[in-house]
Amino acid sequence: MATPKKRRRTLRQVARGVRRRARRAAGRLRRVFWRSLQLRVVTSTMVISIVVVAVLGVFLMQQIQQSVLESRVRAAISEAQADRNAVLSILTQPEREASEQSADSGEAAQRTGDSPLSQATEALAQRAGSASRYSVIIRNERLPGEFFGTTNIEPKSVPDRVRAEVLKNEAGKNASWFVPLHYADRAEPVPGVVIGTRLDTTGAPQLVGDYEIYHLVPLDREEKMLASLQQMLIVVGSGLVLLLAAIASLVTRQVVIPVRLARQAAERLAAGKLDERLKVRGEDDLARLAASFNEMAANLALKIHQLEELSQVQRQFVSDVSHELRTPLTTVRMAADLLYDAREDFDPMVARSAELMQNQLERFESMLADLLEISRYDAGAATLDVDSVDVRDVVLRAVADSEALAERHSTRFDLRLPGEPCMAEMDSRRVERILRNLLFNAIEHGEGKDIVVTVGADRDAVAVAVRDHGVGLKPGEENMVFDRFWRADPSRARTIGGTGLGLAISREDAMLHGGWLQAWGAPGEGSQFRLSLPRTAGAELRGSPLPLVPPEVEMRRTWRGQMTPVLSPASADGGSDED
Amino acid sequence: MRTEATARRRVRAAALGVVLSCVTAACSVVPTGRSPVVEDAGKGNPLNPPYARVIAMEPDADWTPEQIVTGFRAAMASIGDGKYEAARRYLTDDFAARWRPETGATVYRPAPSVTSPLPEGATAARVTLKGTVTAVIDREGRYRPRGGTLAELFTLVKGPAGWRISSGPDGLLLTEADADRAYRLVDLYFLGPKGQGLVIDQVQMPVDPASTLAKTTVERLLAGPSGSLRGAVETAFEPGTELIDVTTENNRVVVNLTRKVPAERVSAMSAQLAGTLSRLASGSSFEVRVNGEPYHTDASLLIDAQEYVKFDRWMAPADVSPYYLQDGGLRVLGRENVGGPVPGKAGTEYPGSPATPPAVSGSGPLHAAALSEDGKRISVAALTPDGQWEDWISGNDLVQPSWDRHDSLWTADRTGLQSSVVLRMYADDRRQYRVAAPELDTVEVTALKVARDGVHVAVAVKDGTGERVLVGTIVGERADSRIGNLQPVMDGDEKQTIEDIVWKDGTTLYVLTGKSELFEASLIAEAQQTIPSPPGIRSIAALNSSLLAWAVDDDGNSQVIKWNGKQWEPQVKDDNGSVAYVQDGPALPAFPLG
Repeated sequence: MATPKKRRRTLRQVARGVRRRARRAAGRLRRVFWRSLQLRVVTSTMVISIVVVAVLGVFLMQQIQQSVLESRVRAAISEAQADRNAVLSILTQPEREASEQSADSGEAAQRTGDSPLSQATEALAQRAGSASRYSVIIRNERLPGEFFGTTNIEPKSVPDRVRAEVLKNEAGKNASWFVPLHYADRAEPVPGVVIGTRLDTTGAPQLVGDYEIYHLVPLDREEKMLASLQQMLIVVGSGLVLLLAAIASLVTRQVVIPVRLARQAAERLAAGKLDERLKVRGEDDLARLAASFNEMAANLALKIHQLEELSQVQRQFVSDVSHELRTPLTTVRMAADLLYDAREDFDPMVARSAELMQNQLERFESMLADLLEISRYDAGAATLDVDSVDVRDVVLRAVADSEALAERHSTRFDLRLPGEPCMAEMDSRRVERILRNLLFNAIEHGEGKDIVVTVGADRDAVAVAVRDHGVGLKPGEENMVFDRFWRADPSRARTIGGTGLGLAISREDAMLHGGWLQAWGAPGEGSQFRLSLPRTAGAELRGSPLPLVPPEVEMRRTWRGQMTPVLSPASADGGSDED
Repeated sequence: MRTEATARRRVRAAALGVVLSCVTAACSVVPTGRSPVVEDAGKGNPLNPPYARVIAMEPDADWTPEQIVTGFRAAMASIGDGKYEAARRYLTDDFAARWRPETGATVYRPAPSVTSPLPEGATAARVTLKGTVTAVIDREGRYRPRGGTLAELFTLVKGPAGWRISSGPDGLLLTEADADRAYRLVDLYFLGPKGQGLVIDQVQMPVDPASTLAKTTVERLLAGPSGSLRGAVETAFEPGTELIDVTTENNRVVVNLTRKVPAERVSAMSAQLAGTLSRLASGSSFEVRVNGEPYHTDASLLIDAQEYVKFDRWMAPADVSPYYLQDGGLRVLGRENVGGPVPGKAGTEYPGSPATPPAVSGSGPLHAAALSEDGKRISVAALTPDGQWEDWISGNDLVQPSWDRHDSLWTADRTGLQSSVVLRMYADDRRQYRVAAPELDTVEVTALKVARDGVHVAVAVKDGTGERVLVGTIVGERADSRIGNLQPVMDGDEKQTIEDIVWKDGTTLYVLTGKSELFEASLIAEAQQTIPSPPGIRSIAALNSSLLAWAVDDDGNSQVIKWNGKQWEPQVKDDNGSVAYVQDGPALPAFPLG
């Protein structure tokens, strides 16, 4: 029982694999089709030209066929008419000579030994030549034995419906039909036309009965000719279609190649290579596009350079100011420490001022430290001190650091750590700082509710998600939280003394690791921050082991049946949530 | 630079010219001023000449008994219906089962049929088909002229579907016209004894609409000779050889066989094919293939249309001069129709009867044979400078001698009133043999001539009813020589004596009667007087289209005259170039053999 089941499963798997592969191939093809202007133009040219060539070819073929067959049938009819006159003259001549004899033609035929009809047939056979030109069948139903054919034509080549029409028609009127002709020496019938008529014997009353004359004209040569013509038309048509496709391909290539070059240049420009320029050749539209592009690139480079310079000046200024402020601040700090230590000797008002000063000085110091840190990032001077560590330990350390603050806000941590170690290469100091920032942030906005810290790992990446159940984020704020000095509600004071730079620095730290720091939040649902890091330093991050949106929220949404629009990726570095 | 530019301009101008000429040429649908390039259609399909044929009709319920018989006659003449199914529908079931059409055919010239008047409501009738029998065709297709009257009685009964024939003769009854349509005369070429020479077997072949005439002819050739020639002739083809097809390619007739022949018989086979197909595809050359492949591995076997003439010089001999007698010696007629004596004794002396022409052999050292006046001796002289007359055969009452192509001399000795013995004497060893000819033992042979093919022999015999001319075949050689298959070709009556018989070619002979009437007789047709003959003809000589006669005018002057196709004209010129009849003028013309 197990084996067939297994096999069935394998079969199903194979089928699924094939389907998947086919779908993937189709998708790839579709992508290629929609990405290549040249392919699209060539395809549409081919489709249109195939339709046009097919319509033209069918029309042409029909015209040729009609005219060829018509001319052949017309020639055959005139030949038949001439033959008919010959037959009539042969039939009437001996009869006239033997007119005194009995009119019973059966006897007359025996008397002369050879009936005039057979003589007429023989004459027609000689006129027709070899069977390839035409054959004749003559009969008179009233006279026994008066049924003749030339050479090897089979009498079944004249179908009953043709005979019926000939007998119904008035004498001398032609009935022509396209029929298969049967020859005694050929196994297969040959397409042909039969022209039948009753002999008009009004001028020869001595003739008895109806003489039916059938001319059977084979059209195998015409068929062969038309077939070869058709073949030629198909070949020429296909050649024409291919030629048109080649022309379209050539023309689009001439247009697309400069456009492609421009696109590549733009991509390089976007990647920061500001000295990228296009070659300008000639004076046509594309050359002018290239010239405009180059001008644009030059202007952009200039502006970016100016902005960079400005930004450099500003950053330098901030850095300098921070440095410059440290020296007086140290002095002020020392003085403040003295005052703070001696506060018990002061009157309460002054003691309280000393305490306040001490607090604000601490905040000032940390702000200054953060400013210096961020200016290091701006200057590109930040470096990683990479080491392989267990993320769980880092999380536990960060949680331990935040424990005191959490107690103050009567907030509890709910840790969800995997059982096995989650080793990753990282700068543990920086990651700890990120986590600390996230935890502080969660405590600050968590309104005393539980904070869930989840650690996840897969083959390539590790992730830590910090979930609070506070007021949450409004739509669009997911990215703004990482801005410097951004505040959700400007009227709200900072309660735990954040500098407003914590998340910005965390973001920079995460990016320095090649990881992502993303935020999710919904009003009333709380928010979640997720840090995803590659296991190996420098590896590109493709996905995160943890979802950005908490699973319970996602589930609730599904139950409600109202799918929210797909959340835009929270990070600006192009990273996207692909799990 | 400048020259380069000029050259480029020239090239451009030339290209433009070409394009323009192409465009303008395409404009005119039918070009004028040039000959069309098409393959020559040739002579149509010579392998199958057109013909008319009777198609069998179904019997009609309303037909009278005579009409039923007429319809039956037509159905019998319908070719291509091998089992005569349509004809059998005219017969009652009982008679249809008994009727045997394959026993042969009787050809007749119809006369009005006799019908007993039919009473009203009759259920039985009799119809007698009347006419004159002209020929019979046997199972093998041998057509033999016959005489006699025809009166075949058919009885008919009336059935639910009309009248049907309940009894009648077996075999086919064909009118002459029907036979003409249903049969084709073909000459089949076979080889003489020892593969030498060609022998024509004339047969009437039924027309087969499902095949071409050429194909049926070659198939018939491969099947071997008809009964009259069986044993007397040979064929080059291996037994069991079959024909695949006969087609035409580029005006050449291609014969496709299943087997080759031994290398030494290729020329004989070529001659047989070329001869057999010569009447059908005259002038075309032939090619023989084996199973569709060329005959020789490295070359195809091409046969000239005249191959059979080359193989057998007596088929169309050129430059054969006639001999005649004048001034007591044998003379040969030269180019300018001026005669000269033959070398040797024969040129000056003639021991034979002045009424019997000499016989001249056809090959090797030529010999002349003369029958003595008393008929008891035949003298032979070699036509060489030292040739002397020698007595070869002696007998009681010999007939004019005749040479065959194998250099043997034939004669018949009338040993009694109604008995004859045929003798054959070979020139090489001078041995004489008695030829077995049982049919001639009891008749008086008045003339015996061996045809130039060496196989056919014509004999004029006289018995109680009159003189007849028979044609038979020679089988065997030396002591085994035999004459058989004698068929009458011409019946004389008491008033008509036969003066002379000569072979025109392998199939036809001229018969001169006592009334100086000249008949042309053959195995396949009634003897007919085709050439008018002036009175006073004493003897004749023929070789294909040349026909000579010895004519004597009322004054006893003689001359050799020749039929030129329209009239007779004197032939032999004397030294002055005159062709007048003179006393003791040219007489007794003779061609070698025949």
